[in-house]
Amino acid sequence: MQQTIRRAQTQRVLIVKPHLMSILKQLGATNISRCFDCGTCTVSCPFSEEMGSTPYPRTAIKYVKLGLEDKLVSSLEPWLCYYCGDCSNTCPKNAEPAEIMMALRRYLTTRYDFTGISRIMYFGRWRWLLAIIVVASLPLLLAWLLKGPVVTERVELATFAPYILVEIAGLTVFIVLATLLLINIYRMYKFTVGSLSGISLSRALIEFLKIVPLHFFTQLRLSKCSFKRYWYIHLLIFIGYGFSFILFVPLLRFTLTNEPFLFVHPLSTLGILSTIFLLIGGTYVLIGRLLKTQPIWKYSHHTDMMFVILLILVTLTGILTGIFRTLGYPILTYALFTIHLSLAAPFLILEVPFAKWAHLAYRPFALYFHRLRMLKEGLMT
Amino acid sequence: MSVEQGSVLVVGGGIAGIQASIDLSDMGFKVYMVEKKPSIGGRMAQLDKTFPTLDCASCILTPKMADVARKPNVELLTNAEVIDVVPTGDVFKVTIKKYPTYVDWTKCVGCGICVEKCPARVKPGAPDEFNEGMGTRGAIYIYFPQSVPRKALIDPTACMYLTKKICRACEKLCPTKAINWDEKEEIIELNTNAIIVATGYKFVNPKHPALSLYGYGVYKNVYTNLEFERLLDSRGPTGGVLLRRSDKKHPRRIVFIQCVGSRDVRINPYCSAYCCMGSIKQAVLAKEHEPEVDVTILYIDIRAFGKGFQEFYERAKTEFNIRFVRGKPSKIIEVPDTKNLIVVYEDTVRRTVERMEADMIVLALGIIPNPPPFLEKLGLVEPSGKVRVKNPSDPIETPIEGIYVAGMLAGPKDIPDSIAQASAAAMKAAEYIKRKVKVPAVVVR
Repeated sequence: MQQTIRRAQTQRVLIVKPHLMSILKQLGATNISRCFDCGTCTVSCPFSEEMGSTPYPRTAIKYVKLGLEDKLVSSLEPWLCYYCGDCSNTCPKNAEPAEIMMALRRYLTTRYDFTGISRIMYFGRWRWLLAIIVVASLPLLLAWLLKGPVVTERVELATFAPYILVEIAGLTVFIVLATLLLINIYRMYKFTVGSLSGISLSRALIEFLKIVPLHFFTQLRLSKCSFKRYWYIHLLIFIGYGFSFILFVPLLRFTLTNEPFLFVHPLSTLGILSTIFLLIGGTYVLIGRLLKTQPIWKYSHHTDMMFVILLILVTLTGILTGIFRTLGYPILTYALFTIHLSLAAPFLILEVPFAKWAHLAYRPFALYFHRLRMLKEGLMT
Repeated sequence: MSVEQGSVLVVGGGIAGIQASIDLSDMGFKVYMVEKKPSIGGRMAQLDKTFPTLDCASCILTPKMADVARKPNVELLTNAEVIDVVPTGDVFKVTIKKYPTYVDWTKCVGCGICVEKCPARVKPGAPDEFNEGMGTRGAIYIYFPQSVPRKALIDPTACMYLTKKICRACEKLCPTKAINWDEKEEIIELNTNAIIVATGYKFVNPKHPALSLYGYGVYKNVYTNLEFERLLDSRGPTGGVLLRRSDKKHPRRIVFIQCVGSRDVRINPYCSAYCCMGSIKQAVLAKEHEPEVDVTILYIDIRAFGKGFQEFYERAKTEFNIRFVRGKPSKIIEVPDTKNLIVVYEDTVRRTVERMEADMIVLALGIIPNPPPFLEKLGLVEPSGKVRVKNPSDPIETPIEGIYVAGMLAGPKDIPDSIAQASAAAMKAAEYIKRKVKVPAVVVR
């Protein structure tokens, strides 16, 4: 296929894939055929007068309708959209352009991923649930095989789950996930930028430092949306994640111990804050999605719901483990801890490189790649 | 020709109603023609020119108006409304409410002395409906210069005598002593054998929340297309000179926005049919008025389907240099000091987001059928507001035999189609009466 496309490009012919529309419809763009290309959505977008991108959402929708798969795969525009819903509100045909952009992000996630797991997560009726169950059973298996002595006189979590084993498992997962994600980002780079020809490496590095950390940590573009509260909520969840990441990856040796839980301790404060942030943010989004209070929550693909539900369940089981540990219920603590790990496993392993959570990397990198493309095309110096 | 063969009620005095009445009276039927406004003529009377030939609308309409009014077997009931229709076999029992004019129309000669001298013309004045509320008229007024019947009438809400018991200037000045303060609402009951409903259309409300982004009513220099038509017309509020609302200056850059409230699921899902050609016509007329003006039409599709339409569209592009841009704007910003308007749109052909400054914006408004309440009572109106017809391939006949529809009420269309449909409805009504009716309902009043 790649060869055909390459040949077609040299012959100045576009390859048309009419089934693209039905793929996107499966991913949530159910109303896409209503669009009649009026361009109302483009101008209603808060980013419409931004430099360098082809006007979106209309053009991206047009690519789908025309079946121009490679144009679509090479476009970054879906990642520049932050789903404020203004376009859906002004659309005269109720084509829901904002949800189409969301569907396009889902589609691009499946295209960037080379393993095919992403396609399992997004398509198919129940296979994604099976994938979750399989991944969730891994920690159960490990706990059954490798668990330490079960002390019932007092809570000894680090004896039940030896620190070094959890550390090794955690680091392995981290390295595998980071590698997978980096490969996907590299594929995204190949699809969208292609090569760095015409840009010096130092310039590319400077732009990277200027864009990726800023947008990774602040999600600044989300603040441009009319529904500004969503930015605060998103930031709250982000900080919650950040805190728990620090606590349970680099500082695991201080958090997974047999010592009793101390309330007045910097680590405890961080832990309590992180769970509160995650719980508030997660519940807010879940209620929003159930009641469809904002355009962004009007349509929920199963991958969206799965993400929120796993987030809340992982947080809740984490909190319960802490509570039982403090109250001194050994068996309950060990059980909850095992469940916590078994929920966290699919949450991390399936979501980060293959599904919704991958946006943590694709979004800032899309902005960076967009900048590189502008540099290449001479739209900025 | 005798009138014993039956009678027809024609509801609506626009071009469709007029044509149906002319045809029916020529066939020898008694015709009652009911019009809500003080004069017949309808929307077409408000138009300056017609597309695609740029013929003056009045030159086509006025002779027909005069013709129908002169027919001995046509009875005009203007300033009146049909409030009830009861079908009873061969005969429809019709109740009509005639609103008071406070002028004895048998005496009024339409000289217009009262209109010139009415003090309410200056203050407080009433919005001039014929000019779409642009400009004011007095409390006593003639609806428009070519009104048929050309009679004066008093607007009771603006008249100082009827509201505050002062003035009576018209009464003193009237050479034929036609003013009659005691006139009351009148209920007329009559029987007819068939009914043709041609009550036309109303425009989509330009202040509809879904249209708020165009700023009509907020930005002074945003016009509806009928308002713009009135500006082009020599009988209009500016005497046919293009002057914009905010500073009475000549606009140099005019932008037309198409499909405002048409093909929009939040308002009207359907195409309003007239607006493409209507806007092209207005753009050409603007160019004819002031050749140095720049006109841009922002459209989604140009639907030039009728006779001579495509040619007219080509002429507008090549001969009149009107700029056609495919894209619907969704952002309009008013410049505070000049009151100019910045239009932001995507040129969907060039795939660029563009900004342009305009002095005036004209909204090509969609239309909604305007069925009278009695039609609703008879169950002939669908929830969508459209008239229920017998079957889709027959756009004239309703499920009640003897009631026919024509013109814009039956669906969006242009003037030639309205006239053709009105003639068809007249023929259907005549055929129905000849075939079915045993008791001709002819009341000599």
